[in-house]
Amino acid sequence: MLVKDAIVSNGTPNETFTLNLGPQHPATHGVLRVKMTMDGEYIVRAEPVCGYIHRMQEKMGENRTYAQFLPNTSRIDYLSAMTYTHGFVGAVERALKLQVPPRAEYMRVITSELNRISSHLVWWGAFLLDLGGFTPLLYAFDDREKILDLLEGITGSRLTYSYFRIGGLYNDVDDQFLKGTREFVTQMRPRLKMYRSLVTDNIILRKRLIDIGPVSPEMCRKYGATGPVIRGSGVPYDVRRVEPYSVYSEFDFVIPTFPETDSMARYLVRMEEMAQSLRIIEQALDKLPAGPVMAEKVPRVLKLPAGDYCYATEAARGRFAVRIVSDGKEIPYRVKLRTPSLSNLSLFEEASAGMLLPDALALMGSLDLVIPDIDR
Amino acid sequence: METPESNAQLLSDCAPYVKFAKLDEMLALGRANSLWPLTFGLACCAIEMMAAGASRFDISRFGAEVFRPSPRQADLMIVAGTVNKKMAAAVKTLYDQMPEPKWVIAMGNCAISGGPFVFPGQYAVVEGVDKLFPVDVFIPGCPPRPEALIEGLLKLEEKLTGKRRWPTVKPE
Amino acid sequence: MNPPAPQPPSSVPQPPVAPAPAKPAVALAPKPAAPAQPPLPPAPPPPNPLAHLPLPFRGVDYKAKGYHCEAAVSPDQVVAAAELLDNEGLSLDTITGVDWMAEGQMEVVYDYFHPAKALRVVVRTRIPRDNPEIPTIHKVFPGANWHERETHDFFGVRFLGHPNLTPFLLPEDATYHPLRKDFTAC
Repeated sequence: MLVKDAIVSNGTPNETFTLNLGPQHPATHGVLRVKMTMDGEYIVRAEPVCGYIHRMQEKMGENRTYAQFLPNTSRIDYLSAMTYTHGFVGAVERALKLQVPPRAEYMRVITSELNRISSHLVWWGAFLLDLGGFTPLLYAFDDREKILDLLEGITGSRLTYSYFRIGGLYNDVDDQFLKGTREFVTQMRPRLKMYRSLVTDNIILRKRLIDIGPVSPEMCRKYGATGPVIRGSGVPYDVRRVEPYSVYSEFDFVIPTFPETDSMARYLVRMEEMAQSLRIIEQALDKLPAGPVMAEKVPRVLKLPAGDYCYATEAARGRFAVRIVSDGKEIPYRVKLRTPSLSNLSLFEEASAGMLLPDALALMGSLDLVIPDIDR
Repeated sequence: METPESNAQLLSDCAPYVKFAKLDEMLALGRANSLWPLTFGLACCAIEMMAAGASRFDISRFGAEVFRPSPRQADLMIVAGTVNKKMAAAVKTLYDQMPEPKWVIAMGNCAISGGPFVFPGQYAVVEGVDKLFPVDVFIPGCPPRPEALIEGLLKLEEKLTGKRRWPTVKPE
Repeated sequence: MNPPAPQPPSSVPQPPVAPAPAKPAVALAPKPAAPAQPPLPPAPPPPNPLAHLPLPFRGVDYKAKGYHCEAAVSPDQVVAAAELLDNEGLSLDTITGVDWMAEGQMEVVYDYFHPAKALRVVVRTRIPRDNPEIPTIHKVFPGANWHERETHDFFGVRFLGHPNLTPFLLPEDATYHPLRKDFTAC
């Protein structure tokens, strides 16, 4: 659809004004600024401006040893911190050919999936806050506190865990965690049903999201969008299924995919993903083997052989990949972080042309952005 | 007819029902119990600030749940997250737009001193928000727990009123 | 090694020790060789799923490196490589710059992934460090727009034909390129 056909003009052509959204705005995605050229309530052009939370993560990669860089990985996307640490740690282990013990791999999967659920809960609460409903935020944070209690018991932190270590885990789990996780899975399933009847089937939400913000699969491919964005456009791309890493190939779970391409499809993908994560956690708890949680013979001083190494994981927002270029020293030569939010937001300019402003905000919320993920 | 004795009698009769105080103290009590924060979450600490506003930790108990998006309506700026050199101008503008009296809480290590992002050769991070404007309370942590944010609020209330509303928890 | 300490003369008379037999002057027959093992066949090269394309792709061991296929091309071939991979149905993952200061070159690495099958492709190219220019691929992959802006921010690489090569993550008036190896804090 051409932009000029979509704009309803009230007689005077070329009368547009510039509206600045952010960098401080109540939609709590972070510090994103969008320069919008508006024709009344319609967007002519929305240009995101990033860099307001640029924290030099890639430069710090060149100033820190491999072990010292671990806390940085949690702070790139703090809502889904485990999968980001997994990406970095996996790249180093791939380069050093370290064999991570199976118990550590299963625990990595369990904690990553718990983190995925807590990240989707924050997205859900904040998205509905954008759309105008305050109550689901409180329900979401209530459930999230239960997950945070479990993870705090083993990692010591509520948000930016640095639980994985190069070669395994920081420490083993106790029975309190295992029992608590099973209880959480049991009580979370009825909560998801309640969310469905409270919010998903709500007529106001359906009118706000259905047929809003269509993103075609071809647009996703051209921009590199991944995660629920591409799965809400009908393409079942999930790194856990296409390039299985860790022990994900041993679990039986469905990749939720909806073909409608609108914001409602992306919403439903994430709601269904929470249910699938509960399935994975249950299966992993059943299959959890005994044994050590740290590889033997991890060198004290980590020096990767020269060359470049990649590792990709499926974070809550999409495909996260790390590329480490090493020249044989104990400090990396270059650490490149491929973050999903940057690719997901890059299609916003093309997708939002000609939309009403509230609809564009619904589209932006359904892309699930975390701005430090873009700026790194 | 009014006499000093009849006035004294009147005061002692009213004592259970009427209190007298200085206007300053009254205003300070009102301000401390209804601090309206500006929604200024920048990074990871913003999530803990949201958690403090949610049901479990509930800063609404202290009157501070009304997060205002507009700085003109807020009197407390909780800087939660890293302040960038690109963002510094916007932060200063927001601070200037807040009407007096206003207070600032620096939440998290990044707002106190740049946090984990300070290294030799760093080019983008402002090392502490107190380089831009005066800060009243510093809350360390990366990120600080919601209880720490509540403690910071109580410290700010103590700064305003001179009295601490909650007894200090002594670790055993 | 210290010579062994001389033994103290023992009080017990000892029978004379026969001298050790002299080693035969004849050279010892060579030991029979161990049964000859056929030399291990060299590990098969990793398969190259893009062998049908007219660019020098070669297969890479995924378990060791994390990608399946890579090609080193010259800077003027990157657009053609992007078009070929676009026809194969791949998507652009990211664009990385690496500053090889000691060699006087900058490397630009294009990562691609396939959204339906396990195929990760890397296209690398090297450009001179004192004049880093390379054509843009944003007409093939619009997502490259922001990746190229970021690479320009951090390294100063100029992407010829880019519509908007302004700072993306750095402040709008930034003139420095921080990830270069000779960058000192401003």
